[in-house]
Amino acid sequence: MRAFARRHPVWTGIIALAAAVALWLIFAVWPDGLEDAIGRKKVFLNAFFNGITLGGLYFLVASGFTLIFGLMRNVNLAHGSLYLLGGYIGYYVADSTGYWLLAFPVAFVVVGFFGILLQMLVFRRMEGEDLRQTLVTIGISIVVADLMLWGFGGDFYNINPPEWLSGPMDTFFVTAVKSNGEAVYMKYPMVRIVIFAASVVVGVAMWLALNRTRIGMMIRAGVDDRDMLSATGARIQLVFVGVFAFGAGLAGIAGVVGGTFQTIAPGEDIRFLLASLVVVIVGGMGSIPGAALGALLIGLAEQFGSVYFPTYAVVLTFLIMVTVLAFRPQGLMGQG
Amino acid sequence: MVAIDRPAPREDSRMWIEKIPAAYWALVVILLVIPSFASDFVMFQIFGWTFILGLIALSLMFLGGYGGMVSLAQMTFAGFAGYMVAILGASAIDTISQGWPWWVVIPLALILTVIFATAVGWLAVRTEGIYTIMITLAIAAAFFYFTRQNYDVFNGFQGFNSVLPPRLFGVDWRGPEAFYYLTLFWAAAGYFAVLYVARAPFGLALQGVRDNPRRMAALGYSVTAHRVAAYSFAALLAGIGGILLTWQSAQISPGTVAIQPAIDILVIAVVGGLRHPIGPFIGAFLYVLLKTFAVDVLVALGLGGERFNLLIGLGFLVIVFFSPDGILGLWEKLRASRNRDPLTGRERH
Amino acid sequence: MARGTVTQRLAATGTANALELRNVSKKFGALEALGDINITVKPGERRAVLGSNGAGKTTLFNCITGDFPPTTGAIRFFGEDVTTFPEQERIRRGLRRTYQISLLFHGLSVLDNVYLACRGVSRGRFSMIRPRRNDALMQSAEDLVRVVHLEDAKDTLVSDLSYGQQRQLEIAMALSGAPRFILFDEPAAGLSPTERRELVEILTGLPSHVGYIIIEHDMDVALRVSEQVTMMHNGRIFKEGKPAEIEDDPEVQALYLGGGHGHG
Repeated sequence: MRAFARRHPVWTGIIALAAAVALWLIFAVWPDGLEDAIGRKKVFLNAFFNGITLGGLYFLVASGFTLIFGLMRNVNLAHGSLYLLGGYIGYYVADSTGYWLLAFPVAFVVVGFFGILLQMLVFRRMEGEDLRQTLVTIGISIVVADLMLWGFGGDFYNINPPEWLSGPMDTFFVTAVKSNGEAVYMKYPMVRIVIFAASVVVGVAMWLALNRTRIGMMIRAGVDDRDMLSATGARIQLVFVGVFAFGAGLAGIAGVVGGTFQTIAPGEDIRFLLASLVVVIVGGMGSIPGAALGALLIGLAEQFGSVYFPTYAVVLTFLIMVTVLAFRPQGLMGQG
Repeated sequence: MVAIDRPAPREDSRMWIEKIPAAYWALVVILLVIPSFASDFVMFQIFGWTFILGLIALSLMFLGGYGGMVSLAQMTFAGFAGYMVAILGASAIDTISQGWPWWVVIPLALILTVIFATAVGWLAVRTEGIYTIMITLAIAAAFFYFTRQNYDVFNGFQGFNSVLPPRLFGVDWRGPEAFYYLTLFWAAAGYFAVLYVARAPFGLALQGVRDNPRRMAALGYSVTAHRVAAYSFAALLAGIGGILLTWQSAQISPGTVAIQPAIDILVIAVVGGLRHPIGPFIGAFLYVLLKTFAVDVLVALGLGGERFNLLIGLGFLVIVFFSPDGILGLWEKLRASRNRDPLTGRERH
Repeated sequence: MARGTVTQRLAATGTANALELRNVSKKFGALEALGDINITVKPGERRAVLGSNGAGKTTLFNCITGDFPPTTGAIRFFGEDVTTFPEQERIRRGLRRTYQISLLFHGLSVLDNVYLACRGVSRGRFSMIRPRRNDALMQSAEDLVRVVHLEDAKDTLVSDLSYGQQRQLEIAMALSGAPRFILFDEPAAGLSPTERRELVEILTGLPSHVGYIIIEHDMDVALRVSEQVTMMHNGRIFKEGKPAEIEDDPEVQALYLGGGHGHG
């Protein structure tokens, strides 16, 4: 970070200034003039929190995608289908057993198993043939989407969080001050906060696992130089299968989270595939911190966009992507 | 999956017209006389649609086969041209549509499409290979959402209806027979244009860039400029296809430029084959037949008509798994195996 | 002052050497791939560079063509200092090279490969008009294909060519667009005896104003197509002389010819 500051003093200044403005907007009590200009602080804070928690969800989906790409150079365009499948599985588990928490391991295992199938039946057979892999996964996503439509119908499903997580939670953010001087604190859905915290834990755990463990070193060595990894005698195929299963499993978990946050329905697969693509293009292919940064940016852009310029909310997302591509084609955290 | 030109021997002293194989003549004659016996539905819906989708997929074939760049934004360029015609020309939405004369609208729409595609191409060629697919897919999605949300210019969810071709020479160009010949003409023009350009310096250089960008740069060519120019040229084909598509359904809406149609164009081009400009038309013909008659087949199989995507997806999967060069590749394999002596395995001449 | 430079330059082009390397060295980190190389090649001169693997021969070529810049030293091409020029600029000035690994355009025919190489240094690279049969560049491409004895295969795709034919095509591409000086990187490697004979014919049949440097392991080929020989060892020049002198030099024989590279 210090190296970055030394190399790009202007950018560092701009980023620091933006961070300071954001912090002030979040913590300060807004003067009347500001509320007149851009609306109530409650709306702003809500958009901010929605953006951050949506970013957490995007991170869960995109980190699996970027991990798989980073290690194996496989672009899995069926990643959105894995997300949606996870959502449906999660719904059935939570609905039939009544245990919301049980939905996560089941979705992880089942979708992870699908990931293993994909790796062994498709990607391993077409190693090095990027275009064919991409085409085959597009074909798979078309077929899987239709099978799921067949099996689950076109209805919207919503996974209900358990009693102890539903309902709002008091936060310490002041949204306004009443005329009698009493501060009004913001309330926010408990489940979103818990899930966001969980995705931060997952992210940090992944980062630690990649940077502090032997298997993580092996994976990172594989990202840098695959020939070297196989030369060290590491059982590279086993590592590949493991990473693929883990990345797919993450998408499955994300499906459960998405079903709890929002809804599960046909078409969500493409939406989340696109979100993952944009997140990793912005953040940098194959980089976990990049995925986190990209997910946050895109989540915030979407939520602020839909509050402050509803017509062009989606366009804002893509504008970010285009800007990054134009000035830093390898992504914000990408190498090279 | 590269387009391969097998140039005709150059010493041939016959007139160019004598060098065309008989099968081509037969095809030309059949295509020209189809309207004398085919029903209106077959002319307008089956062949008209085949030629249009084939033309749009041809633009992808040009980029993918000769340039080595697989773009998912070709349907977006087509839809963009259609939107421009609806916005600048006449439609039922007269609050937005300008109602300018066709001889301004059509060239202007195509020029704007080429400019748009050049900008997209410039973004897309900043990265390589699989990134191109991802970026063009993202751009296609962006355009789709934009048209759906923007009401000032693109009229949002509804889009534009009653977008009709001009009554040039007193002909109703949406009449089945006139539309058949109109689309046939542009499909053929696009087909021959691609064949021609592929062997012109620009096309050759593009194939050189596909095969070996580093060497091309060392020879003094600009790799980026050739790639971007390929997007511009391909967008012209896609744009013509998009205008025809808009006239055929007399409307343009976000549904035309959604993700599904963008992927359908890829499916068409890949299933037909990216090696030769005839591939996209074969793919389009199959797609249109499936789209039109698959419902009956599916119902006959007891599956219900809505499983159409399953059929398309499975067919696509089978093709990419077993013949990466599409139907054209299958055809070549078949021909090669027929020419092979079954005992020695050598080629027969 | 300015006038002085121009006259100097004019004078230089008239009498200048085709290629001059002054104290060229190249380091990769701590590894010295080339050290203190001084070579002078007169216009039209043909020179062989010999040396065992890892002697720095291909690195030398890469420095001359501009694939990467030398760490120290200067390179002059027909009197002009090209040390910092990009590859394209050197090509524009008439420098060509062939590659050891195949860098051809596999999806195109032989003639089209040569045509692209001819077109690279000309204008109209974005032309959408097909070349006519009497197009000057197409004519010169056809001529070059004939020079390397590939006229029967000119419409064959590169991917269908034999290895030897690909090497011949590589030479044709290097000859495109009026070269003044060519670097041949092991053109005979992997060729059959017949193909080697053809190669020698092609090289000796080049127009006399075209000079070249050839890296070659096959002494028989190298000594027959060159007038001067430079021996390299461990990134340094070890001996220079006429082919006959080098062949008979006891030190060279001990180091190189004795190492299993029998000839004849």
